[in-house]
Amino acid sequence: MCFRNLPIEFDSQGSATLRGVGADPFAYQTKAIDRDDVKRRLAKDDYVKAVDYDPVTRVAGALGFHSVVDLENRKVLEASSIATLFRGYEVILKGRDPRDAIFISSRACGVCGGVHATCSALAIEMAFGICPPPLAVVIRNLALSMEFIWDNTMHLFMLAGPDYSEAMIKKTEPTLWDKATRTETRWGSIHGYSKMSDLFHDMNPLVGKLYLEGLELSRMAREGYVTLMGKYPHPETIVPGGVSHTVTIQSFNVYLTRLMKTFDFAKRAIAIWNDIADFFYDANERYKECGTRPVNMADLGIWDDPKAYDATYKNCDAWGEQRWATPGVILDGKLVTTKLQQINLGLEEFIEHSYYEQWTGQPHKTDPLGAPLSPYHPWNKETKPKPGGTNWREKYSWATAPRWDRVAVEAGTYARPWITVLAGKLPHRRFLDLTPDSMKILIPKYLAPEVQVEWKIPPVFNAFERNRARAYSIAYQCVVAYDNWLIGMDILKTGDYRTSTPFTVPKDNRMGVGFWGAGRGWLSHHLELDKGAIVNYQIVTPSTLNACPKDPWGNPGPYEEAVMATPILEEFESKEKFKGIDILRAIRSFDPCMPCTTHIYAGDQHITCEVNTCACGDDD
Amino acid sequence: MPAETTIESSRSPAAPDPDASGLPAKLDASRTPRLLVGGVGYRLLRDLSFGPLLVDRLLREPWPDGVEVEDLSYGPIGVMHNLESRPPYDRIVLVGAVKRGRAPGDVLRYSWRRQLPDEEEIQARVAEAVTGVISLDNLLIIATFFEKLPQDVVVIEVEPLDEDWGEEFSPEVEGAVPRVIEEIRLSIAGWLPS
Repeated sequence: MCFRNLPIEFDSQGSATLRGVGADPFAYQTKAIDRDDVKRRLAKDDYVKAVDYDPVTRVAGALGFHSVVDLENRKVLEASSIATLFRGYEVILKGRDPRDAIFISSRACGVCGGVHATCSALAIEMAFGICPPPLAVVIRNLALSMEFIWDNTMHLFMLAGPDYSEAMIKKTEPTLWDKATRTETRWGSIHGYSKMSDLFHDMNPLVGKLYLEGLELSRMAREGYVTLMGKYPHPETIVPGGVSHTVTIQSFNVYLTRLMKTFDFAKRAIAIWNDIADFFYDANERYKECGTRPVNMADLGIWDDPKAYDATYKNCDAWGEQRWATPGVILDGKLVTTKLQQINLGLEEFIEHSYYEQWTGQPHKTDPLGAPLSPYHPWNKETKPKPGGTNWREKYSWATAPRWDRVAVEAGTYARPWITVLAGKLPHRRFLDLTPDSMKILIPKYLAPEVQVEWKIPPVFNAFERNRARAYSIAYQCVVAYDNWLIGMDILKTGDYRTSTPFTVPKDNRMGVGFWGAGRGWLSHHLELDKGAIVNYQIVTPSTLNACPKDPWGNPGPYEEAVMATPILEEFESKEKFKGIDILRAIRSFDPCMPCTTHIYAGDQHITCEVNTCACGDDD
Repeated sequence: MPAETTIESSRSPAAPDPDASGLPAKLDASRTPRLLVGGVGYRLLRDLSFGPLLVDRLLREPWPDGVEVEDLSYGPIGVMHNLESRPPYDRIVLVGAVKRGRAPGDVLRYSWRRQLPDEEEIQARVAEAVTGVISLDNLLIIATFFEKLPQDVVVIEVEPLDEDWGEEFSPEVEGAVPRVIEEIRLSIAGWLPS
């Protein structure tokens, strides 16, 4: 039984039925957010401060964070995550030709345009009833692996990396810096640094060697992507039923020259982030609490098997489990399902603390296979924006609160190895292997020799483990790309150069869903078509899952929960000089797709964190 | 008609000192100079899309040898990487809409003086850029910091009015188009053989 809270149960054949009786089995009671104690302490205690990380909205979107901290006891008392911009892609797409969705939804993100376009294509081909040829599936896998590689690299060395640089540590943890100058690294034979202080020095933004190396790697990865897909961002070659261009052995070889360079980078990235995590843990065990929360995560899986994927909802459990990253949901550290249909049924979106009006009606009582569907499921959702003032007890975000089985689950690239290991299903083991608690990744040689690395499910889950797993994920992405490259070459050798399937736009009522992922985790596009036009289009992004506000029961979203659990370990002479680095590390460990700049306003003693997102966190 | 303003820097980039052959002294007269005209901005945001939409129009016009016209609206880091991989340009002219509180349709041409903010601010701009933010200011700051721009960069800004969804300019900004094209042609004229 995968659901504890939703009234859906499955028989021995896997058929779902509604449990219980009553007018509305999905009905729920809301619980008010209690802020009385926080307000009292804010008024009474001088060392309790409201610390607002205020957004500065630019074109791409914005996200802010409100917290109340007790600087004497070094605790966070309140945390509220705020998506500050309505972007309205779901509204824009209504009534349009479904083929437009690929190009319009791509704009939901400046980083992840390729994954949005692909996810949209998957949803449309399911609705159209067409299946791409094998080579097209391989091309998607290859191109998007590059997108994931640069995405994770960018985060580790350009966005989160500066939090672990000499420049930042000297400012926020001078004692730690002193220790770094006296600490030998453990992985120096791979990354080349003998002292932790040297490693932190090269993490410095703009000028650090590792920062610049990450920047260069992101270029190579993009070159690999455009070799196969023409352009980035917002590729125009992704279509329902495949891709709209041809490839040759030559373009495959050009791609490989880029991919091979990522092999060595992945080896070094793992060694670097192993050393960073271990250094902080050794310095203070309490760093293990930074950004911690229960192991509740979900992922839809990525990288389709060209022999298994048939684009149907009917067979989604089967083709989903053939992916290189197994779909799944983990609750309290336990895997509860790997079936895409169940993952789909468990998804709901709530708007009690979001600037939306509750939609009414339930156009779809069941999914296309007859399983009960919640009225709060994206296929039943209607986006009804309702702007208003900010109230921490009421509405404070443009993000909805997605929940799985009414539990806040987080999305992340690290969910993929975690779920794949626990599931133990992985059918593709040329470069990957599983143990009950680890994934072994055989990274081929480039200039550095071939090496097998092993990512182990960590005994603690926190900001450092998110980043460490992200580094291993680069290796995961590299070898899946290489595996697909070899498969693609085999297909080309057979002379099967087909990259797309002809189609006509159906005029009857159709449903579709794209089950995919971004570099930072879960991505789903749900659509309904009628008379050749989009009736409903709903996007759930990884940062919507992570940056969401509290749910109807007052339970926090993942950022909020992680920040609440984060101890304040920063060294500061006075509360006026508090920078909030622990909170920022906790939030950034989710790869929130946002850069943050922190300023101190001495006058009012508030920290302002300017946050610009690629808008993944906003409701689309 | 909207007010139109042209501000020339003391270096007067639109009228470089030519040598006897009609080319700036620092250029090798034996080769055709390489000039790039680039538009920067988001599409579908009416006046804010001035850069890319103007490039669409410029590409329909004839340009002298050595002049490339290109939409540079794909993120400053990507632009920087592309500039790095090409032979260097002698001059780059960047065009875009920037909100600075001027009268809608105002045209401002200036020489980029390569003045950078502090490194923390530059890192913030990089972080924005890698997460998808496209802006003329970010492009100038980032490409300058990483030394991917030629010494001679001319910027032509237009003050936007209408930022709604769409591909049409407001009348004020539409009215500025001929002036901007004239400024672009002036900006490259002094660099080309007569």
